[in-house]
Amino acid sequence: MKQTLHSATLDNGIVLLGEDLPGLESVAVAFHTPAGAVHDGPGRCGLATLSGEMMLRGAGDRTSRDIVEVLEGSGIQWAQSVSTSHSSFAGAMVARQLPIALPIYADILRRPRLPDDELENARQMVLQNLAGTEDDPAHRAMSALRQLHYPHPLGMPSEGISADVEAIGVDDVRSFVRAHVVPRGMIIAVAGRIDWNDFVTRVEALFGDWDTDDASAVAIGSRGERIRFVPHDSQQTHIALAWSVPPYRHDASYEASAALSVLGGGSSSRLFSEVRERRGLCYSVSAGYHTLRDYASAICYSGTSAARAQETLDVMLAEIDRLPGTIEEAELDRVKSRAKSALVMQQESSAARAAWIARQWYHLGSVRSLAEELARYDRLNVASVEGWLAANRPAGLTIVSLGKEPLEVPREVSA
Amino acid sequence: MKFLHERLPNGLDVIAEVTDTALSTSIGFFVKTGARDETDAEWGVSHFLEHMVFKGTNDLSADEINRRFDWMGASANAFTSEEDTAYHAAVLPEQQIEATALLARMMRPALREDDFDTEKLVILEEIRMYDDQPPFGADDRCRATFFGHHPLARSVLGTVESIERMPVEVMRDYHRRRYSPANIVLCATGAVDFEALVRSAREWCGDWEPLAIPPRRAPLDLRAAYAPTLELITRPTSTLEYAVKMSRGPAGDDDDRFAAKLLAAILGDTSGSRLYWAMVDTGRAEQASCHHQDFLDAGMFATQLSCDPEDAEELLGMIDEVYRAAAEKGLDRREFEQNRNKLAGRWVLLGERPRRRLFDVGPEWAHSGDYRSVADDLRTIENLSREDVHRVLARWPLHGTGSTVLAGPLPLDPSLETASEAQ
Repeated sequence: MKQTLHSATLDNGIVLLGEDLPGLESVAVAFHTPAGAVHDGPGRCGLATLSGEMMLRGAGDRTSRDIVEVLEGSGIQWAQSVSTSHSSFAGAMVARQLPIALPIYADILRRPRLPDDELENARQMVLQNLAGTEDDPAHRAMSALRQLHYPHPLGMPSEGISADVEAIGVDDVRSFVRAHVVPRGMIIAVAGRIDWNDFVTRVEALFGDWDTDDASAVAIGSRGERIRFVPHDSQQTHIALAWSVPPYRHDASYEASAALSVLGGGSSSRLFSEVRERRGLCYSVSAGYHTLRDYASAICYSGTSAARAQETLDVMLAEIDRLPGTIEEAELDRVKSRAKSALVMQQESSAARAAWIARQWYHLGSVRSLAEELARYDRLNVASVEGWLAANRPAGLTIVSLGKEPLEVPREVSA
Repeated sequence: MKFLHERLPNGLDVIAEVTDTALSTSIGFFVKTGARDETDAEWGVSHFLEHMVFKGTNDLSADEINRRFDWMGASANAFTSEEDTAYHAAVLPEQQIEATALLARMMRPALREDDFDTEKLVILEEIRMYDDQPPFGADDRCRATFFGHHPLARSVLGTVESIERMPVEVMRDYHRRRYSPANIVLCATGAVDFEALVRSAREWCGDWEPLAIPPRRAPLDLRAAYAPTLELITRPTSTLEYAVKMSRGPAGDDDDRFAAKLLAAILGDTSGSRLYWAMVDTGRAEQASCHHQDFLDAGMFATQLSCDPEDAEELLGMIDEVYRAAAEKGLDRREFEQNRNKLAGRWVLLGERPRRRLFDVGPEWAHSGDYRSVADDLRTIENLSREDVHRVLARWPLHGTGSTVLAGPLPLDPSLETASEAQ
């Protein structure tokens, strides 16, 4: 398949990435600033999220309403989000609208007003969202898992912690934006029906003269306890498990994610077959690969009624334990087929591709072509996956259960 | 983009929207059956059957089905709603024949009793999962009250009791009656080889026995048309209060349904709408939104609110005021145009994804026997005028009417509840 990828770096460090997707009418653009939740700081968990929200509340000559009215009035689907590593602003639109969108994003990123009189509303919005997550048991279990498993502050919830959000002042927001919404470390990705040269010219005009100090690095601390029970008044008990695997930029990440996909990736995976299909223990059960730049995790999840939760956990642990030494070629073929098919189909969505090429750059410092990515899956074989598993047996598990009653966890799985 | 249609002698419709530039092929069997077609003894059977279809046929095991989909690299799934049950797979074009054959064979499941008993446990877990999640049953209760004796009152999942007491014979009988070829549409979108699709349909579905299907339409009897109702579900440990409100709107065969969707966006889209600026932007509510949903013979505006419990009553009042102001003062031109462009932009983006188009093209044909291209829809949206939206507001006022259910920590207050005596 023919694929056209572009990249350029501005003098101030902003990386521009592009991919032509012929056949699409749309363009998706995403601005990933290095202002992720990892920089929230002690007692300020949620600062990146609140700052991202404040950046939308007036920028340049535009009020909060102007921004939304121009974007939506131009048929632009906009989104704003905060992850551990980035604060991101994105838009998807019919290709001809891109010149309208870019100056608005430039205002949001470079000239946010961060007005005093919007802080309380923005804070309340973040707090409302936090209250909503309190009512979502699966979200709470996964959030607790990430918090315990990753070294501090990498697992802290980007949506914040209520008490911290209450304490954030407008000066915190302003210094956060000044320190972290900076050109160096910023990625602007565009995909779809693009005119690359025109895009670079426009972005250079809007962002080329932006120069600031580099952001400071974050000190990485220690991990939390390995086993936690979270009391919650619910019919179901939610089980979340994690152990460490290589991050995406390591070559072995392909072996790791293939092994996890055999375990719990598709409907023919071991967990789905054994826990749901054969025993009818739950509705949802899965295993997957989650990566940050320097750390990554295998994450398994299931939710089931309290009376059957212990059996569910026991079967999950048994399947994890059984994985090394038992992977069959047919299983791996299915995993490869699913991964390759998903990669090709991703080319039908400009937003998905813009996100993907930015993610690759963040992790690898380059964008792999589709052909190279597919070849990496082709090279996987049972010997390579088993070889990796033999040297990296699942161990040191972090286990979170959330529900009415705690579960019995054998100590050795967390050793 | 071109549309193709062929009907097999047994009544099965085969349709496709072919996009030459697409990289994938999406295939779906859309069965014209859902919760509204169930009797009391069958409550939840449509959705339960959807699960059982993945449990295999007389010569295909459940494991074999799962393995084949994964081996094809398919993104395969199914869903059940009030009016449709759909089984679908997105694959690379070279897998079209294989994926169509597998889905087609699954439409004639074995429905073995031991599988039925095991899967029953999974369904019960699914019911418990939703019961633990916001809006804690407020949506199902609201639909039950709003639709009253209309068949759309029935929830899709059924209840713990209706599932527990259901014997396998009920499902086998339901399947025989409802999965007749004339009640099914085979739809494909994207990079489709239509000749091969029709060949697959003939090979795998040609011998399905045609049975007469009783008509589905039911007399409209919406209690909410007469008086507003309010009910409470108390969940002491919930953090927020969740409200669902339903009021009447245009049905699926009403020309005003596009204007209704535009109105819902103006009033209560999740960003940039009147409710958004009044409550979400200010941090009063976690969510305050409105959308329009249409069915074969009914339509509704559904409003959702989540907020601090002590604010719920006040905010419900504010929502009613927002609706009243729109009806009495109308919409300003800028707001109208902004939202029309927003809706059109959304349609273009959704329309260019063949995997997403399957869920427009398939149900549209199943419900109306019509095909509408993205361009048709866009033309309709672009031709909407403010008068169209004002007419919708006049025909189906959203204020001072509707069924509302609150779920959350608010204590049960008999003086507030108005629907219980009417049930």
